Amino acid sequence: MNWMIAAPEIFYFAAALWFLMLSFFSKPDARREHLSSLLLASLGVLVCLASVGSQGYIFIQAFTADIFSQVFKVLLSLGLFLIIALCGNLPDVGERRIQDFYFLLFTCTLAMMLLVSAGHLLSIFVSLEVSSYSLYILVSLRKNQDFGLEAGIKYFLVGTFASGVMLFGMALLYSSSGTTYLGDMARVLPGMIDQPVVVIGLVLTLGGFFFKLAVFPFHFWAPDAYQGASNQVAAYIATVSKVAAVAVIARVVAYAGQESTYFVHVLVILSVASMTVGNLAAIAQKDLKRLLAFSTIAHSGYILIGILALNPTGWSGTIFYALALLAMKFTAFLVVVELAPEGQNLQINDLAGLHRRSPLLALALMVSLFSLAGIPPTIGFTGKFLVFVAAIERGYIALVIIAMINVVISLYYYLLVIRAAYLLEPSIELPALKPSMPIKLLAGISTGVIVAAGFFPYPLIRVAQAAAQVLLVGR
Amino acid sequence: MHMEPANLPYLSAILATTVAGLIAIMLIPAEKKELIRRVSAIFSGITLVISLLLFFSYDRSMGGFQFVEDFSWIPSLGIRYTNGVDGFSLPNLLLTGIVFFTGVLTMWEMETRVKEFYALYFLLVTGVFGLFMSLDLFFIFVWYDVSLFPMYLLIAVWGTTRKEYGAMKLTLYLLAGSALILPAVIFLYFKSGTGSFGFVALMQSGMSGTIAPWEQKFAFILLFLGFGILAGVWPFHTWSPVGHAAAPHAVSMVHAGVLMKIGAFGVLRVAIMLCPVGWSYWAPLMAVLAAIGIIYGAFVGLRQTDLKYVIGYSSVSHMGVVGLGLSTMSIEGLNGAVFQMFAHGIMTALLFSSIGYIYDRTHTKMVPELGGLSRVMPVASTFFILAALASMGIPGLANFWGELVVFIAAFRTYPTLGVIAVLALVVTALFMLRVVQHTFYGPVNEKFSHLQDVSFFLGIPRMILAAVLVIVGLYPSILFDVIHTASAPFINGLPK
Repeated sequence: MNWMIAAPEIFYFAAALWFLMLSFFSKPDARREHLSSLLLASLGVLVCLASVGSQGYIFIQAFTADIFSQVFKVLLSLGLFLIIALCGNLPDVGERRIQDFYFLLFTCTLAMMLLVSAGHLLSIFVSLEVSSYSLYILVSLRKNQDFGLEAGIKYFLVGTFASGVMLFGMALLYSSSGTTYLGDMARVLPGMIDQPVVVIGLVLTLGGFFFKLAVFPFHFWAPDAYQGASNQVAAYIATVSKVAAVAVIARVVAYAGQESTYFVHVLVILSVASMTVGNLAAIAQKDLKRLLAFSTIAHSGYILIGILALNPTGWSGTIFYALALLAMKFTAFLVVVELAPEGQNLQINDLAGLHRRSPLLALALMVSLFSLAGIPPTIGFTGKFLVFVAAIERGYIALVIIAMINVVISLYYYLLVIRAAYLLEPSIELPALKPSMPIKLLAGISTGVIVAAGFFPYPLIRVAQAAAQVLLVGR
Repeated sequence: MHMEPANLPYLSAILATTVAGLIAIMLIPAEKKELIRRVSAIFSGITLVISLLLFFSYDRSMGGFQFVEDFSWIPSLGIRYTNGVDGFSLPNLLLTGIVFFTGVLTMWEMETRVKEFYALYFLLVTGVFGLFMSLDLFFIFVWYDVSLFPMYLLIAVWGTTRKEYGAMKLTLYLLAGSALILPAVIFLYFKSGTGSFGFVALMQSGMSGTIAPWEQKFAFILLFLGFGILAGVWPFHTWSPVGHAAAPHAVSMVHAGVLMKIGAFGVLRVAIMLCPVGWSYWAPLMAVLAAIGIIYGAFVGLRQTDLKYVIGYSSVSHMGVVGLGLSTMSIEGLNGAVFQMFAHGIMTALLFSSIGYIYDRTHTKMVPELGGLSRVMPVASTFFILAALASMGIPGLANFWGELVVFIAAFRTYPTLGVIAVLALVVTALFMLRVVQHTFYGPVNEKFSHLQDVSFFLGIPRMILAAVLVIVGLYPSILFDVIHTASAPFINGLPK
């Protein structure tokens, strides 16, 4: 067995262990903990980059390292690094719990890395649960107990329900296919894919992942969890957690769900429902984080379009979309975090006067929102374009038209946020915001990346295509 | 289709100039307003010079696409960065250059958030230039959206009448158009079987029938409606007068002068040229909608009291003339339509620019409150009256030729609609005369009797526009020659 192919996991396990030990033996120090976690997270990015090429199996095929999983690990590590960069000021988490906070962040990321590499139903289930449980606690960690606890419990209840559904689905899959390895399923299932029990088993199994991605009808937790969690944790759920969910759904669907008309129909319905429900509900929101939560639900609908196309264009589009989601959601949350130094929840009207208080943050917010809406030349547009191309290649033009109408609806509420930042004047004069130098740099770079990758996406598309090759193996 | 490569990347140079201008403006501190204006004027001036250069050095005897640049962009999807101009796009490119430069000068006196205004304005125009020169459908779509989304802030921040409503309505309407365009574009990409988003490859598949007739009909209607919303096609025009009225002057100029042309140009370039079978199938519908637009715009315009609404509805009417020309499926029809696009662009820009000067002094654009302005500011009034005369289609000014040629073509193809549309133009003349009479003649409103007339410097943008109207009006073949190089081969090459 070649343990080196699990280098990222081993690294993140060690990092999590480090914070666990710290919490036993050392007095918490917010600044020291932040710097050490930042250092560990940046080392983690390097480790993941270094192991991009590694391939192989451990534990038969329960842990699979291939270019697909390794690319996603780079994204996950990058996401964790970016989120930790926002944690310089953590008013919502008591200093006493700061080490637990980082411990859970690293554990959660570790679990997600295992998840993108999982090739066996059991390893999928275990890693999914570990990441979910870390998140339940992270959400509840907020100092303002009413908010955090309530959100944590809601999140937990919906989450355990989804886990139960997923287990049932896995049992059905096992009973019909006689195997628990994804690789074997890819060989067995195509012959029996139109049997009702297989379709039901697949859909229920995916239910667990849909919960992670906040796909209708597993989306109810999202707005409450985003609102209740501290801004940084909400940012983590919106970025890193989504990337992992996209990866596992793409892999399971690609391996198990080929050429099934019923199954694709179910996915089409879920996709349309997610984007429509997400976008319509977002219009009514006053709280910025709730709005972003509903926009995430809508985005999960767009991502499903790429997955249900079941062709290489769709898979590479999906991978690209995950990357895009990471970039643009992170940028939006960066502004949220910077605007709420006391960790409070922001209303949309609290953005009033932002264009004078900090032109850079206002610009970053505008670019990220236009990118979320899918306006070119931004990375969000390219992502949508790629999945739409994949869908029309399969002849789903009506689905794409519905999605484009949804894009127009979503633009309405994004414009309301932009209006607040650029047009509204605050009722009392607020002081200019002075973001620290690293934050300024981060905002500038992420804004630049959104536009640059929108205008010249080819290098990233190449990466996505390389990763998508792995999913073809199932054919 | 002939493609003549460029010896130097002139077209990209235009885009590079606008982007460089945008970056330069972003780097100047917001307090240095005068510097920002000068930098804007210089960069927009450069784009005007390049587009003039291109217009006059385009080889009219050779025709086809010239100054072509071609680079690989996303090879896996067959997307290339291809630029080139032909007889259809060249007049529009020149129009954009003129309106862009005069728009910067028109906004010289504005004092609020100058830096952001010019930055967004440059972004908007980058999209417009890009769309007119691009020969790859992916880029055409990208530029289309780039030219739309700055509009929201431009209108909502610097606008006037019901600005937030107007801005939101305009943005959502126009992006709804793009919601129809993108699926149709990708649809054509797959149906053509060329694996390319390149305009020329797709056009050949459309002409040769590789794209089946029903596919062309389906794609055409999506593209026609999508671009038609931006062209102000009735009944999707309602964003246009509201948006015109709400927008700041330079944005109204670009908006009515150039953006609506993007819509018409998109119908011509993408819908008509790629789906000729769809075109012949839907042409009667286009003609009917265009005729309704001409009549409707004229009659609603008759009742308006806000100067900008008057122009807004007259635009709906005039863009109907463009639509009528495009629906005739003849060389004359296309010639007239493209000519009318250019003439209408210059004419509306001059109208809005003149209104801008008057509004900045009087702070009203309501016709009943004004009056006798020609005695207070004779020069400023002259500009408006000249543009109004052009709008009525007086011979000797540019619009006359566009309308004349379109109507000659329309009488041949759709005699009834042609007659009705010409009669509606009489109404346009009527309401323009009414506006001119109430605004510039009659008793002077005492409130405004002390106002200064337009100075030489502030008059420059209006002089440029007025000069173009007269030159093109007296010497129309300067445009017709160019347009003909594109329309004749296209119509003659149509599948029988």
